[in-house]
Amino acid sequence: MKAIQILFTCAAITCAAGTASARDVTIAGWGGNYQDAQREAYFNVFAQKTGLKPIETTYLGGLAEIKAMADTGNVTWDFVIAGGNELQLGCDEGLFEKLDWQAIGTDGLLPEAVQPCGSGNVVIGNGFAYNTEAFPQAPQDWKDFFDREKFPGKRGARNTPVMNLEFALLGDGVAPDKLYEVLGTPEGVDRAFAQWDKIKDLLQYWESGSQPVEWLATNNVALSTTYNGRIIMAKREGKPLEFVWKNHLVNMDVWAVIANSPYKQYATEFFKTINDPANQAKFSSLMPYGPSNTKAAALLPPDIQKDLPTGDNIKDAAFMSDAFWVDHMDELTERWNRWSTQ
Amino acid sequence: MSATIRNPNAGRLAAVILLVLPLAVYTLLYLVPIGSMISLSIDNGELGRSLQHFSTSDASDPDARAAALLADMQEMNGRQQAESARALNQEMPGFRSLFINTARKAGEVSPDMNGLIGFDERWADPRYWKILDNNAGTLTSRHFRRATGLDFDEHGKLGAYGDDIYLQVMMRTLVIAVQVTLVTLVIGYPLAYAVANGSRGFANFVLVSILLSFWTSILVRTTAWVILLQTSGLVNTTLMALGIIDEPLQLIFNRFGTIVSMTHVLLPFAIIPMMNVMLTIPKSQADASRVLGAGPVETFIRIYFPQTLRGVMVGGSTVSILALGFYITPALTGGPGDQMLSYYIAEFIKKSLNWGMASALSVMLLATVLVLVGAAGALNWAASRKRETA
Repeated sequence: MKAIQILFTCAAITCAAGTASARDVTIAGWGGNYQDAQREAYFNVFAQKTGLKPIETTYLGGLAEIKAMADTGNVTWDFVIAGGNELQLGCDEGLFEKLDWQAIGTDGLLPEAVQPCGSGNVVIGNGFAYNTEAFPQAPQDWKDFFDREKFPGKRGARNTPVMNLEFALLGDGVAPDKLYEVLGTPEGVDRAFAQWDKIKDLLQYWESGSQPVEWLATNNVALSTTYNGRIIMAKREGKPLEFVWKNHLVNMDVWAVIANSPYKQYATEFFKTINDPANQAKFSSLMPYGPSNTKAAALLPPDIQKDLPTGDNIKDAAFMSDAFWVDHMDELTERWNRWSTQ
Repeated sequence: MSATIRNPNAGRLAAVILLVLPLAVYTLLYLVPIGSMISLSIDNGELGRSLQHFSTSDASDPDARAAALLADMQEMNGRQQAESARALNQEMPGFRSLFINTARKAGEVSPDMNGLIGFDERWADPRYWKILDNNAGTLTSRHFRRATGLDFDEHGKLGAYGDDIYLQVMMRTLVIAVQVTLVTLVIGYPLAYAVANGSRGFANFVLVSILLSFWTSILVRTTAWVILLQTSGLVNTTLMALGIIDEPLQLIFNRFGTIVSMTHVLLPFAIIPMMNVMLTIPKSQADASRVLGAGPVETFIRIYFPQTLRGVMVGGSTVSILALGFYITPALTGGPGDQMLSYYIAEFIKKSLNWGMASALSVMLLATVLVLVGAAGALNWAASRKRETA
């Protein structure tokens, strides 16, 4: 029995190595319970509808792998969920297929979700969180995050200027809709860095999204920037954490098709599956990120909705500008790196 | 028979060629990637190939330059436009959107300076044109200028006008490598001594412990240090339970954590060469020294230690050169001030897709290693000459 299994496995490997089109359809996601929820809400439905057997892999951000696939012609992924500015860069440089929105349909989708090479799918709330046992009075907004007298203790933050500069301006009293106007000027950038200067010695940088949760739960840091989903999930597991719903920054993760994917004829079916309100509602109930289809909200119970970055919570939120970051990423990353190491 | 008389060495020559062949193939396979890395660091990519009209246009006639630029833009496909725009944005933030928006509408813009400025007033800024001038060729010094902080002033004179962050990072990389090497040698020397001179059972125990950690994945060992050293980790809780400290010490995400974990990872590379040298030193030498009246300390300093220096040199240089290229260990246990050059190389490859810049930094790192190896070789040569003449 075992020998037969081994024989079959070997045969499968040989087949897979044979030609590119002989491999199974491959979906790359961010891993963790985020991808678990997507499997349940989307991949399994897609598999059932098409008869394909999707295999999954992990995507770690950036365009390096995808550019390598385009340059060498060895396309090993088909569908990938990327960040907004990566999508824009990759779309311009021909790393992703253009989408046929007439076939897919845009019914109910947020206008920001409909993009030439991608379909915005997951609305993420980027803000900060705290341990409810750490302070007698809960922090209310970004001003509190930068207030070392009122809320003493270390701060977790990602080691990148993206969103952090926006957070600093929000903490300095800039209105959410004026963020990029201010950040587009040299004075605005100076202002953001000056705000971070106030708590620079308290910073501890996180790399992976699981770190802020661990650090907050063990009182390793007092406050930390984080994604709403991670904190809500930890809260559901009974950890004493709370996400601050005030001026959070909203961005969208976007599904795209790798250029020259051998499975691109299934793209329309794939995007129909991930944009379907019922499927999106299922995803949001498993993983507390917002749906990009406005019709999905009606299918969600209020106790789920209160934890999502959409709905009532979106009222005083700011939208992250991918266009701004595509232009300014190099310059501001270099300045941030210089600032953070000094 | 007659063949042997004509060329008695023919067989030997064939044998030598056959023996050298794998080495030649290996060297080629080794040198080709390094060559492509170096060429990538000065290659101007799509941008250099696409500005054909512009590079031959009359530099004193703004309208001709504008028309040439628009003609180049129209001849590029979407991918070439985007790649050129990304390269230009590395010189000046915002150039990407200016270039790409203009290129997409290039056919509708009237082909002169007023047409361009009418489309987007940023084209009136001479800095954009200066950058185009500097980049209208197949080779570029852009990446090396940025890596070294050298830049041209408005008169085209090269000087240290740029940001020297990567030189600082290179210095930091060297400092960390030296720190780790010193700590490794100080810890490794007694351990190597114990293996070479201890009782058989003890020596085996030490050797197996060293090899066990040597065979464990770097990632596992690094993560183990994170668990041990974190605020609520084993070290801090033990120290607090013993009443030695009142509040947890910051042992990780700083230079201390970086050095500790890197030392642990690199220790076997120092111990094994030192141990090998120590094993060749006859024990009878120490007895002879004692008989001649030297105490244990003098015996060690004058007889034993000088003979082990060769092992210390080999171990130390191996560790320092390996340490220069470290990436994952400082990334997991260091703070932002402890990241080494490899971290920034990885950032440029993965995040900003700037492979030219990554190559330029790699060339910088490689050059540093070559200089170090050269210096070590020169020292060795000088030392052996001194010994010969003495």
